[in-house]
Amino acid sequence: MVEKKEYKLNRLETTKLIGPMVDKHWAELREAKEHGEKVAWCSGPLFIFPYAMGMKCHFMAGYAAYCAGRKAGDQVLEAAEADGELMDTCSYHRLHTGMAAAILRGRPVRKEVILPIPDLLITGRLCTEMAHYAEALYRRLKIPVVAVDIPPPRRKEDLPRLERFVVRQIKESLIPALEKVCGKEFDEEEMRRILRVLKKATTLRNQCWEFFKLKPTPWTLWDYGVSIAPVFYMMGKPETVPYYEKLLAELKERAAKKIPAILPDGEKYRLYWDAWLPWAFLGMFIRKFVSYGAVPICGRYPWEFFPHPEYIDPDADDIVKNWVELYYTKGHQAMVMMTEGALEQIMELVEEYSIDGLVMFASKTCRAWVGQREIVNEIERRLGVPGVIIEADMVDSRMVSEAQIETRLQALFETIDARRRR
Amino acid sequence: MGAAVAGVDIGSIFTKVVIIDAESYDIISFSIMRSGASHENASRSATKDALRAAGMSLEDLAYVVSTGYGRSRVPFADRQITEITCHARAAKFLFPDAHTIIDIGGQDSKVIRIDAAGRVTNFVMNDRCAAGTGRFLEVMAEALEVDLGKMTELSLRATKNIEVSSVCAVFAESEVISLIASGHEKADIAAAIFRAIARRITGMVGQLGVQERVVMTGGVAKNEGVVRALEERLNVKITVPEEPQIAGALGAALLAAESLK
Repeated sequence: MVEKKEYKLNRLETTKLIGPMVDKHWAELREAKEHGEKVAWCSGPLFIFPYAMGMKCHFMAGYAAYCAGRKAGDQVLEAAEADGELMDTCSYHRLHTGMAAAILRGRPVRKEVILPIPDLLITGRLCTEMAHYAEALYRRLKIPVVAVDIPPPRRKEDLPRLERFVVRQIKESLIPALEKVCGKEFDEEEMRRILRVLKKATTLRNQCWEFFKLKPTPWTLWDYGVSIAPVFYMMGKPETVPYYEKLLAELKERAAKKIPAILPDGEKYRLYWDAWLPWAFLGMFIRKFVSYGAVPICGRYPWEFFPHPEYIDPDADDIVKNWVELYYTKGHQAMVMMTEGALEQIMELVEEYSIDGLVMFASKTCRAWVGQREIVNEIERRLGVPGVIIEADMVDSRMVSEAQIETRLQALFETIDARRRR
Repeated sequence: MGAAVAGVDIGSIFTKVVIIDAESYDIISFSIMRSGASHENASRSATKDALRAAGMSLEDLAYVVSTGYGRSRVPFADRQITEITCHARAAKFLFPDAHTIIDIGGQDSKVIRIDAAGRVTNFVMNDRCAAGTGRFLEVMAEALEVDLGKMTELSLRATKNIEVSSVCAVFAESEVISLIASGHEKADIAAAIFRAIARRITGMVGQLGVQERVVMTGGVAKNEGVVRALEERLNVKITVPEEPQIAGALGAALLAAESLK
C-alpha cells in the first residue's frame, strides 16, 4: 500500500536559466532567413555538420519540446492530419508535416512555432520512420534532402562495419551537399571549435550526472533532461559551459548541505525511466511522481549524449570519424537502442543508482525503442526489480490517459512496497 | 467477532462493496450496483446496501479501502489501493496456490503475476481501448439482441466456426451486425465473440507467461463462455471464485483488515 504524504519538488535554480537560452536559440532560427543565413532541419546526431558551416539548425526532437512548451503540439499535429497525415504516424514526423501544412496551406497554428523552410533537410535515419519523414517533407517542400542511415547494431561485432558505413555517407553525401548549399568548403576548423566547447560542456555535464548516485538525490532526471539543449542543439555556443559550471556548483552545494530534490526528506522511490522523455508531459509526470515521493533518476535516452566526453578529440586527424566513433565503436551508444544492449546497460544502472523500479515509456507512435516488455520481465527475474509500461506519446495528448497512468504508477509503487516488507 | 472493515471497488460499470470481519476475514455482507455518473454517490449507495445487509452503520467500519477506477472518489475511504494489488490479494486469499490472475472488468483487463507469498511481481493492463472487456461484451450482446446472461447458453449451440476479427468494440459491433445480416446463426456469432475476447486476453497473458494456478476475477468471469474460450486458447484450467465480480472489493477489504494490524 502506498502512503501518500506531502512531498514537494525542490527545483534547482540553475535549470530556470534554460528557458531564456532556448528561446534565444529558436528566435535566432526563426529570424535566420531575414539575416540571409542558411537553415537546416536535422534529426539524429548530425547537426554538428550544418553548425560547422555556420547554418542555423533546427533539431527534430528539440522542436517537439519547443512546441510542447508553447502548448502548440496538438495544434500542429492536427494541421498535419488535416493535410492527410495518418494519426499513428510518428508524432515528431507529424509535427514537421504539420508545420509544412501551416507554411504552405495556411493551416492555423501559433506563429511562434512556424520555422523557416530549410535550405537543406538532413535526416539521420536512426529508425525506419525517418525514411518516411524525409520523403514526406521532400514531397511537400521540394528542398534538397540528405538521408544518412545510422543503423542500430545487433551485436558489438557490427559496430566497426556500421561506423565505416556512416562515415562514408557523411563524407560522400552530407558534406558535399552542405558545401553546395552554402557555396563554400566544409569548415573543419569550426567543427573542431564546436568540439572543444562541447567537450568542456559534456565533461561538466557528466560530473553533474554523478550526483544521481547520492541518496537522497539532489536533482531529478527531468532537471537533467531539460538541461540537454546546451550539449545538443546549442552545442558549441559559449554560454553552454557556464551553464554547466553553475549547475555543477549548485549540485555540489546541495550535496554538501544534504538538500534533497524531493522535500521534506528525500525520495521514497528511485526510478529508471526508459526511452524518450515525454516532452509535452514533463510537468504531468513529475507531479505524479513527486506526489508519491518518487523520482526518476536515470534512463538510457538522456544518458545517450555523451557518456564518454573523453573520446571527443577536437584535434583528431579525421574529425568525422571521431564524431561517429562516439556513437559506435567508442561510445557504444548505438547498442542501447537494441534489447540486448539495453538490458546490459539497464542492469548496470539499476545496481549503480539503487533503482527501485522501472518506468518504461512506450510511445504510441514511435517504434524506435524495442523490447520494453522483455526488459521488464528480465530485470524482474534477474534482479527482482519491478517495472511498468506506460503507454502514451511524446507529444500527442490524445494518446495520453492520466487515469491509466496513475493506476499503473500507483501499482508499481505498491509492488515495490510489498517487496520491501519481505 | 472482530472489527468490521470494508472494501469499496468503484469500477467503470459496477460498484462493489464487501464488508468482512477483520479478525476471521469472514465475509459479513456485500453489494453490487451500477456505478452511474457519480462515483461518490455510487460508493455511498453501495456501501449503504452492504451495511444494511450486515445490520451496521458507517461508524461501525473500522477501516475502509477504496479501489478501482473511481477509487479517489470515495469520501469515507481511509486509503486507496489499486485494483491490481486488490485482485492479487483476493486471489491469494481464495486460492493460496494462485500465480496468474486474469481480471476482466468493465473497461479494464489485467493480467497479474504473483509470487508464492502473494506479492505482485509483474502485471499488464489493456490500454485505452475496450477490446476484451466487459463493455465490449455488453456492446456485442446488444448487437446480437440477446441477454448478456444468456450468451453462454446460446454459444453452446454453435455449430459453425466463424470469426469476429476486430478487437475494436465499435468495429466488432458492425462486424456482428454484418454477420447477422449475412444469415449466420446467433449461436455461432456468440461463440465467435467469446473467441475474440480470448484472443485479446491471450495476447496479454503471453506478455507475462502462464503460471498455474490461473484464477479469473472480475465481472466477465461470470460468463462461462468467455472462461471456456480462454481455457481452450491458453490450454490451462481456469479457476473462477464463487462471486468473481467482488474480488477487487474483497481484496480491498482484506487489505483494510491488514491495515489495522
